[in-house]
Amino acid sequence: MSSFLTLVRKEIRDAAQSRWLVGFALSFGLLVLLFARVQSGGDVFAEGFNRTTAGLLNLALLAVPLLALLLGAAAVATEREQGTLATLLSQPIGAGELLLAKYAGLTLALWAAVALGFGLGGLLLALVAPLGALDRYLVFVGLAAGLASASASIGVLLSVLLRTRLRAMAAAVLVWLVLTLFYELAAIAVALTISASGRTLLLASLLDPVEAARILGILAVEPNLEVLGPLGAYLATELGTGVTAGLLASALVAWVAAPLVVAVAVFRRQDV
Amino acid sequence: MLQARAVAKSYGRVRALDGVSFELAPGRVLAVVGANGAGKSTLIKSVVALIRFEGQILVDGIDVARNPKEARRRIGYLSQEAALHPDLTVAETAAFYAALRGLSPERARECVELVGLGSVPERRVAALSGGMRRRLALAVALLADPPLLVLDEPASGLDVAARVELRRLIADQRAAGKSVLLSTHWLEDVPHIADDVLVLDRGRAVFLGPAREFLEAPAVESRLYLRINGRSQEALELLRRTMPQRSVQRLGDWVVVPVRAPEKAAILHSLVDEGIPVSDVRVEEAPADDALRRLTEVDP
Repeated sequence: MSSFLTLVRKEIRDAAQSRWLVGFALSFGLLVLLFARVQSGGDVFAEGFNRTTAGLLNLALLAVPLLALLLGAAAVATEREQGTLATLLSQPIGAGELLLAKYAGLTLALWAAVALGFGLGGLLLALVAPLGALDRYLVFVGLAAGLASASASIGVLLSVLLRTRLRAMAAAVLVWLVLTLFYELAAIAVALTISASGRTLLLASLLDPVEAARILGILAVEPNLEVLGPLGAYLATELGTGVTAGLLASALVAWVAAPLVVAVAVFRRQDV
Repeated sequence: MLQARAVAKSYGRVRALDGVSFELAPGRVLAVVGANGAGKSTLIKSVVALIRFEGQILVDGIDVARNPKEARRRIGYLSQEAALHPDLTVAETAAFYAALRGLSPERARECVELVGLGSVPERRVAALSGGMRRRLALAVALLADPPLLVLDEPASGLDVAARVELRRLIADQRAAGKSVLLSTHWLEDVPHIADDVLVLDRGRAVFLGPAREFLEAPAVESRLYLRINGRSQEALELLRRTMPQRSVQRLGDWVVVPVRAPEKAAILHSLVDEGIPVSDVRVEEAPADDALRRLTEVDP
């Protein structure tokens, strides 16, 4: 087995032993069922995947980035603090290789947690609910996995830049607050103040992975762009649903790649 | 095997290493000694390419700064902290690092046995004593049977028996034609393990030469305490006569003799040969920082 795969396997093993990840998977599975029950207004599972997907969207947009940011932030800083980073880097592996392997292992573990959480709930739901909107539900699961990848990438960058676990995790919480709460508030404030154009609103959406994932999630449930207000009107007129989805998905991919590229470049130049 | 040319490293305004050069041939052991903050660990980390530095370090002809991955294939490294993942067991730790180097689990087991941890393969690193953890880290360093061992304070935290075992292990490596670069605070260990010594003082090399020559420097002295019931005055006179250059003193029941490492046994022999019974012996090791500071002042 190559050293890269050995490191990936170690990272997955560590993640599997993490109570955070297992707790997330199980609690999210339960939440899928709870949402289905609550949103059906007492008629258990009557609305099936469609309503459940929409209801879970906001919850997933909060929980998934927080978990991925925190685990990413701990990834390198913990190794540095306990001294194992020096032991690892004294082996015949490159600094970039180590960082990418840690990210890959962490992301695979996050995907597994997302798949387990949503998969378990979805499986139970599928046993009693109409299967008509299953494809949208699966898109939503994929979206959560993509958001986890982007958030983990930002977390790993924080872990490299801030060096201590406490600082990196504090910064991760701060970034999470900005991405999930402050950014949207700031965007609304700017839009109200300077009556921003549709193009500006689109740019604002692309610059926040959570916002990009939120719009993609909405599109998965309701392809009519008008539900997005002024931004939706602009997108419907100028781009259309397909191009919009492609653009937002590209933004998510960029949010995976860009922090990771910066993290690798910085990490290679750092002293251990 | 190892060549360092004008190696320098700064942390902000602090010059941690300042133009250090040396060579280490196959089958030789070089001890790097110096007071705290002298630059020992910085030099060791430079050799393993864990930090960026100025100058050039070649391991088996490979530039460690340009090709760290290839250079590290030839290096077994023991860090000062002997840091290993606390959640892994002894066996898992060795197997993990063996896999990183593309080695078999059998080789991992061999090295665990070699350092005397074969009886505790399922014990977690977190549950190991400091000495055991250091031995496991040494096993990790030995996994690839590397031509160059780089050991940062290998004797730190080891009991006397483990230190003796470490000396034997280093001797075995030397006999097998391997090179060993180690840093140490234990000046007493130097003549037993090293062929050559590099003394660092505030990042600069102030002595590079044979270990024996280094230990003959007057600054490197331990204090030998001898309890001689009833015949202390006789012993005092004998030692003052045979060692006129030393300041032999009486301190209560004890006779105190400043000695260099190889002289202790000879002093005991001289007393026994004169029929003077020694009822107790204590050694106060040379305080490394003080001794080295005096040495570097004497020999700039």
